[in-house]
Amino acid sequence: MNYEFDFHFLTGNFGVLWDGLKVTLQLALISNVVGLVLGFGLCLLTLSRWFFIRWPAQLFIEFFRCTPALLQIVWFFYCLPMLFNVFIDPITMGVLALGLNLTAFNAEAYRAGVQAVPREHEDACVALGLSPWQRTIYVILPQAVRTALPVLMTNGISILQQSALVAIVAVADLMYVGKSIATEAYRPLETYSLIALIYFALSLPIAQLVQWIERRQDTALAR
Amino acid sequence: MQLDFTVVFSYWQVLAKGLALTLAFTVSCAVLGSVFGFLLSLLRLSKKRFISIPTGLYVELFRGTPLLIQLFWIFFCLPVVFGISVPPYISVMLALTLYMTAITSETFRGALKSIPSEQHDACTALGVAKWNKVLYVIFPQALLRAVPPLLSNVVSLFKESALISSVGIADLMFVGQNISNSTARPVEFLSAVAVIYFLVAFPLTRLVGVIETRMLKRYAY
Repeated sequence: MNYEFDFHFLTGNFGVLWDGLKVTLQLALISNVVGLVLGFGLCLLTLSRWFFIRWPAQLFIEFFRCTPALLQIVWFFYCLPMLFNVFIDPITMGVLALGLNLTAFNAEAYRAGVQAVPREHEDACVALGLSPWQRTIYVILPQAVRTALPVLMTNGISILQQSALVAIVAVADLMYVGKSIATEAYRPLETYSLIALIYFALSLPIAQLVQWIERRQDTALAR
Repeated sequence: MQLDFTVVFSYWQVLAKGLALTLAFTVSCAVLGSVFGFLLSLLRLSKKRFISIPTGLYVELFRGTPLLIQLFWIFFCLPVVFGISVPPYISVMLALTLYMTAITSETFRGALKSIPSEQHDACTALGVAKWNKVLYVIFPQALLRAVPPLLSNVVSLFKESALISSVGIADLMFVGQNISNSTARPVEFLSAVAVIYFLVAFPLTRLVGVIETRMLKRYAY
């Protein structure tokens, strides 16, 4: 291989890349908040006693889990404005698509956690006279989060990576900015490698944290 | 606006062709990725650091970056690096296989670790050679335990393969987007494509559950 690396063209594009990174982080963080909150709600719905609540919730989860994220994003960007005759700005739309996708995945993660809460806790709540709302928020949620934490965090990382897909519908995130710089400067190798490294640097620490938490949970279980 | 889903049926042949291509890529990359993934997982468990560290780095790198960028990197950068032109089908296949290898090696690593150390001790006591141990004792058990997560990997590969449309491969996603653009009926066609993906992926995810509850209880534990 005799390729001359040249990173000089990046100096003028630093601001653009930074803007792209901000959009990516914005997408990933807000989608995670949406997914963490709605995911728990959806998980409770799938555990509902009534069939007509449980069934649509389960269908929602399965549909988001069994179709490509790219298709979901394209669908939201093309079809939502046509169906409802509304205009939503691209970043909000991206958050909506990614957030709902994450909601479906997180609901599955929470479910294992909720089901792992022993039956006695529920009895104790009744005995103490806690309202169903108090029981859900103060007793079930903390324990479910604790069990589901590694999976929730892994899902969070994967939504950071899936957020690169919004570049295909021309949202100016890190991927999109990188793509346009690569085409303009005709330096695909440097640009794409740099972008890949940025994504990697963002997700590696969280992945390491997940491993650390998993190890701690394993030792706690073994005790 | 008026929705008319009957128009979808007049394009069923093109959509079927797209699906066939998607399935062909999924199956071939799943097979290749599983084989390489197993080999890689053995390398990762190696005691020699100059083997385990680079392979670990490979896995982290492919799991830690978006598949879209891996695809673009291989599609646009590989020809620059090696100064050769790579046909699009090959580079796409390479990208999907490398991705599948990375996620599958993690699956196998988990399965290999779940095999109790007594099995290894027994092999040593019986004087079974190292490669015989891997081939006849460890591999069959690990494979059985790895089947459910492996199948989920195939499902995610099937979903992720939609990305190859972005470099112009005429898979199901590409075909669907093309028709929806040319007929100006995105709602009908994109929804139809979503339903097709769902109809393929959903039974597979159910199968994962069935295997986990039935087969593994009977044979692996």
